[in-house]
Amino acid sequence: MQPQLDPQLTEFFESGVSLLVGTRDARLLAENTRAMGLRVEPGGREITLLLPVATAERTLANLRDNGRVAVCTSRAEDHRSVQVKGAVIEIRAAMASERAIVERYRKLIAASWGFLGMPTNLTFELSCWPCHAVKLGIESIFEQTPGPGAGAPLRRPGAPASS
Amino acid sequence: MSTRLCDLALCFQGVIPSVVATCDAAGEPNITYVSQVYYLDEQHVALSCQFFNKTKRNILENPQATVVVYDPLSFDAWRLVVRFLREEKSGPLFDSMALRIEVIASHTGMSGVFRLISADVFEVIALEPLPGFKSAAPAPPSAVPPQPAGPLTELRGLQKVSERIARAGDLESLLGGTLETLDELFHFSHSMVLVAESEGERLVAIASHGYGEAGIGAEVALGEGLIGTVARRRRMLRLAGVGAELRYGRAIRGRVQECEGAARLAPEIPLPGLPDAQAQLVLPLIARDALVGVLAVESRDPLCFDEWDEAFLQIVAHQIATGIERMSAAGEESEQPAQAPLARPRQPRTALAPRCFVYYKNDDCIFVDGEYLVRNVPAKILWKLLGQHRDAGRSEFSNRELRLDPKLGLPPLKDNLESRLILLRKRLVEKCPDVRLVPTGRGRFTLELDAEPALVERESA
Repeated sequence: MQPQLDPQLTEFFESGVSLLVGTRDARLLAENTRAMGLRVEPGGREITLLLPVATAERTLANLRDNGRVAVCTSRAEDHRSVQVKGAVIEIRAAMASERAIVERYRKLIAASWGFLGMPTNLTFELSCWPCHAVKLGIESIFEQTPGPGAGAPLRRPGAPASS
Repeated sequence: MSTRLCDLALCFQGVIPSVVATCDAAGEPNITYVSQVYYLDEQHVALSCQFFNKTKRNILENPQATVVVYDPLSFDAWRLVVRFLREEKSGPLFDSMALRIEVIASHTGMSGVFRLISADVFEVIALEPLPGFKSAAPAPPSAVPPQPAGPLTELRGLQKVSERIARAGDLESLLGGTLETLDELFHFSHSMVLVAESEGERLVAIASHGYGEAGIGAEVALGEGLIGTVARRRRMLRLAGVGAELRYGRAIRGRVQECEGAARLAPEIPLPGLPDAQAQLVLPLIARDALVGVLAVESRDPLCFDEWDEAFLQIVAHQIATGIERMSAAGEESEQPAQAPLARPRQPRTALAPRCFVYYKNDDCIFVDGEYLVRNVPAKILWKLLGQHRDAGRSEFSNRELRLDPKLGLPPLKDNLESRLILLRKRLVEKCPDVRLVPTGRGRFTLELDAEPALVERESA
């Protein structure tokens, strides 16, 4: 059964947490970028990442090559982290209507990093638009908060177990 | 000009967490934050491994990875393509990386629970600015934070610090004067010196600058927290982004609690000085291969200290350590023989405020008017002085007679008596200013009272 994000995880994913995106090329060299927005699709089994065109060239090439992707979501204030892995379903240019997701995300992440001392103006200098919209199907969900159990499949009350 | 790894020193301070992406042999990528990226040389970095996690499994299967590090001042990002070479589980590299983790573990109550498993050494295959990360073109890596002018000024500053140390006539002026000069000339605005008790299990703060009188007398167990760990390991430690390090430690503590319960966890230990310190630089004071104390400086600016501060304060620390050793030796060797105690007739006093001193025998601790004052040897000393003043009207005392009194429990060698008297004097200034110990010459002092002390002995609280 395909795992899904329950309402609590959906809220966490969309709450302005850091969005680290890992892919790999044909030689198995991993690539490392950040998404500047995320939407959990209805049903919680798919997410759409908004990847700035300016920073996503290698990531897009990797996704077109093999489609494998890992997304680590991490809250700066307490390092609470969850990682999902899956495969790309669709790559397209982000629509103008999706810019609101990016703008909301940018404000949230600036506030979060601002709490840690990062000047807001620096966060607002990050490239964020135009974006690619990358939809992926979730195949597994992992606990990623640093400490014992990091990397283990996430099991939480009410959430389906993942393999 | 291409960027060199050494240009990224600020990125490696850990203020903004670095990110590592790996891939297993089956082609499944993984991405996560990494606790420490440690600069080794122009071709090598080391990554900390605290848990045998997916990242570690991946690099054992497929040794290549990309690491992104961030400049905490400009937020420019740099991409490193790295190849895993080896893991180190002992040696200087391991010890350096482990010390930082050990300190955070201690402060978050996880000594022995959260520790470095290995320092994983990687060859850096490629280094480049992350294209397009910021909408403007990447700035060159931030320069090292402003230093206090040129080398000549630094040398002159060092000369002045050295002079204060050399000229100091007693331990109190040596430490107080040095910390003051460090602030005046180099803006180390929050600093403290703790001395090792001769029993070797604890350190006691006897001088501080930038905190008022608060903190004098604070005790740190050897091996506990930042200062205690530096003392036990006898290794200098610089921490940047202390708040981020502690949050990371607390995140792991939370997971340990969830997964294994709280039985293995100790209470958190507060930071030694500023509760909101963001940068700490702590140096052991070593003289004749023995730990005599610790010098600690801190700041609310996470990037306040760098390699320059390390090198500079290392020199100062050596001088302070030698100075403490010198004062201690001088105190023991050059005192005048004790003269017959002068019994002064009690003067009739008018309306002196009463002070109630209570001595608890079970833990050698004195409270004044219900408030904790001092304990251990300084408490025994004060009790002796107050008792002799009450019973014989004495107010003139010598260090020598204290050294010869077996009831005080001073060790025969390296008794730290001067440090203990400084601590007692400062605690009195803070908590009971109408009772004073005033130096009157080398190894001699007067007990001055503007209060009417009542002395009460109790077995326990």
